[in-house]
Amino acid sequence: MKNPKTILTVALAALAILALACTSNTGDDIPEIERKTHSLNKAIMCPVCPGESIDQSQNPLAVSMRGIVAEKLADGWTGDQIKDFFVERYGPSVLLEPPREGIGLAAWVLPPVAVVVAIFAVFVGLRWMRRTTAIPSAVTSENTVMTLDEQESYFRRIEVALDLDDTPDGPSLPS
Amino acid sequence: MIVESGQLALVLALLATGYAVVASVMGVARRSPELVMSGRYGFYSTVILLLVATAALVYAFVTNDFSVRYVAENSSLAMPKAYTWVALYAGNAGSMLFLAIIFSAFALVAVGTIRKRLPYTAPYATAIMAMVLLFLLAVMVFLANPLSRLDVVPLDGQGINPLLVHFGMFIHPPVQMTGLIVVAIPFSIAMGALLAGKGGNDEWVDLGRTWGMIAWLILTLGLLLGSWWAYTILGWGGYWAWDPVENSALMPWLAMTAFVHSIMVQKRRGMFRMWNMVIIIIGFTLAQLGMFINRGGPVPSVHSFAQSAMGWIFLGFMAFTLVASIAVFVWKVDTLKSRGRLESMLSRESAFLAQNLAFLAGAFVTLWGTVFPIFSETASDVTITVGQPFFNLVNGPLLLFIVFLMGVGPLLPWRRATIGSLIRALRIPLAAAGVIGLIFMIVGPRQPVATVAFMTCAMVLAGIGQEWVRGTQSRHRKGENYAKAFMMLLSANRPRYGGYVVHISIIMLAAGAIGSSFYSVQRDLVMSPGDTETIGEYTFTYTGTTHQSHPDREEDYAQFEVYSGDTYLGEMEPFRAVYPDFRVASTRGAIHSTPIEDFYIVPSEFTDGGQAVFRVLINPMVWWMWASGPIMILGTLLALAPRREPSPATLRVPAGMRPAGV
Repeated sequence: MKNPKTILTVALAALAILALACTSNTGDDIPEIERKTHSLNKAIMCPVCPGESIDQSQNPLAVSMRGIVAEKLADGWTGDQIKDFFVERYGPSVLLEPPREGIGLAAWVLPPVAVVVAIFAVFVGLRWMRRTTAIPSAVTSENTVMTLDEQESYFRRIEVALDLDDTPDGPSLPS
Repeated sequence: MIVESGQLALVLALLATGYAVVASVMGVARRSPELVMSGRYGFYSTVILLLVATAALVYAFVTNDFSVRYVAENSSLAMPKAYTWVALYAGNAGSMLFLAIIFSAFALVAVGTIRKRLPYTAPYATAIMAMVLLFLLAVMVFLANPLSRLDVVPLDGQGINPLLVHFGMFIHPPVQMTGLIVVAIPFSIAMGALLAGKGGNDEWVDLGRTWGMIAWLILTLGLLLGSWWAYTILGWGGYWAWDPVENSALMPWLAMTAFVHSIMVQKRRGMFRMWNMVIIIIGFTLAQLGMFINRGGPVPSVHSFAQSAMGWIFLGFMAFTLVASIAVFVWKVDTLKSRGRLESMLSRESAFLAQNLAFLAGAFVTLWGTVFPIFSETASDVTITVGQPFFNLVNGPLLLFIVFLMGVGPLLPWRRATIGSLIRALRIPLAAAGVIGLIFMIVGPRQPVATVAFMTCAMVLAGIGQEWVRGTQSRHRKGENYAKAFMMLLSANRPRYGGYVVHISIIMLAAGAIGSSFYSVQRDLVMSPGDTETIGEYTFTYTGTTHQSHPDREEDYAQFEVYSGDTYLGEMEPFRAVYPDFRVASTRGAIHSTPIEDFYIVPSEFTDGGQAVFRVLINPMVWWMWASGPIMILGTLLALAPRREPSPATLRVPAGMRPAGV
């Protein structure tokens, strides 16, 4: 038990068991209609409480809207019909998720574009940093402090020379 | 009298700050150290002056001086005096004073250290910090004076917003505001170094990193405390809803997280010099945007406690600093040539760059979603709401990728890695992820996204564990026992091992978020006294309700007897309070919390016959999110702890080699 490897293995196994225990509630016993109500409640905004869905809000209007959702589902309405019902009364801003058409489409298009641009930027940046030649340190040495990296290899060289090396071998040390 | 002296102190602070800006800049231009010094002392003096102003406001609150407009608007005779602290920053004018005094105090410490360690940068950094403070003071003196008087003195004040009456409100808002304003300090250090022509000299990096991490830690704690407040008081069973103000606090956090990582590349390798400037400019801009959206911003939010036009002044100042910073950057960009050169596309450096871009992409899409309602309204007259489903879908994969990089990046060596070495380093972490994946596929509930997310967490933990085990064993072989070897390992490379501790706390946070978003069970139940219901392993009986009347509110307490299996967990007592004056209802959930899961009951509605609607939730792993806070603080402190300077005195020189006379 003293070996750190054993400790690590035991710790990871314990965490795995814990994670399993944490996720054991499947909620299979919840009636289907209640599940649907919750997911709809989470998709509909409370019109008078800024920034809250009717699922979150304690406002009387939100409470009554939750009631309407449950009632209509019990009457056999579909989720889309219920959403349309609220959009007719309160406008498109009553839905939390932007529609995937018209102006709302713009909301969905930009994030993947941003991700592509970011990936592109990483590659361009890396290529650019490979090409640029570094300033020879002699030019700037008079007013430049050593980077940690240089310090480390410098002191390591000294230590090796003096045969004092007791630094642990980690991947951060240049060999 | 006392209020008037507070007003006077504010005006004097404004003058002193203005003088600090002018004297610092002129002092450098005329090469006069005395002038620079006088500017610095002018800046220091604001701490005392702002203390006087704050004391005056506190005095007005404590003595119920409703002739002061801010006191009349934010307190009442019925308000417990302890809430004076909350009332101080509940409204706009007061929050400006709070920001100003906090900032001047932090800046005092910062300028003190900068002056000694970065003498050339110090006057510029002081001038920039003084300009930030000048802005806050100018807004207070000319637009929103917290100490201004009313012509007609009301008999009682309007009182404090009841949603703010919660222990969490004693700490979350001040911590959050402090975090946002403290971002100005690393920004000032970076910009000061750039203006002094020392940007290409890496001496600003240590202090920039220290203050960047301090700001990062405060921002993180602010976000955690805010989530905790939402979870315990907003009473819907969640902790994060991608509300505009939450987003506006998240964005600078994302940028600052990128900064505290990329600054390490400059510290160790002398690279990323331009990039670090860019990222701290973005960080400070987003921090100001955060204050703008919070102070009466244009997007409807649950945080709209203080609506006013003041937000727009923040926007103006943000635009000004952004333009000015870009101008300085372009002017001085030649001084920012990199010293190191990227040796390989696959290296720790490149992982840091990928991580940075992932964070910025996250900040950008969050910004996009947050401002989209305004965009759609201007572009097409239709207001479109962008809420939780959008952000989960868009930010979820980015955050997962960031967690993945957290597992890979630290295992990559600086300078150069090969595919072979990467695979060797990742062998054990990937195996751990595979085992978790298998277990979840066989036994666990089938949630593919959550399974992948847990696998990624396992990979990160195994990677950190592997580093610790290897380091400890290597020291152990040299004769230290395991415990000592481990402690020495942690203290030998503090930025690295402190970083690992923080990474572990982030995994705790991630596990909590994954567990509670994918495996939460929710029910809404109508119950009459005497009813018993069961969810999962919990059986609970609703025994009844007690009603309490207070001068400002009506409270209904519901009593539950709760069992987990056959074990009696005790009585749980969630309540709902209605504040007729504010037409606000506030509910407080009762939570039985264990590391495995939270059992959460909250009343949504009470009807006359004693019947009530309750929301009952099982939220797995939320406990881990709150537990991550202290570990995160410890890790950050370890990463910040100053390293023993390698000096000749600490170098062990064998006796025989010692020169005579030493």
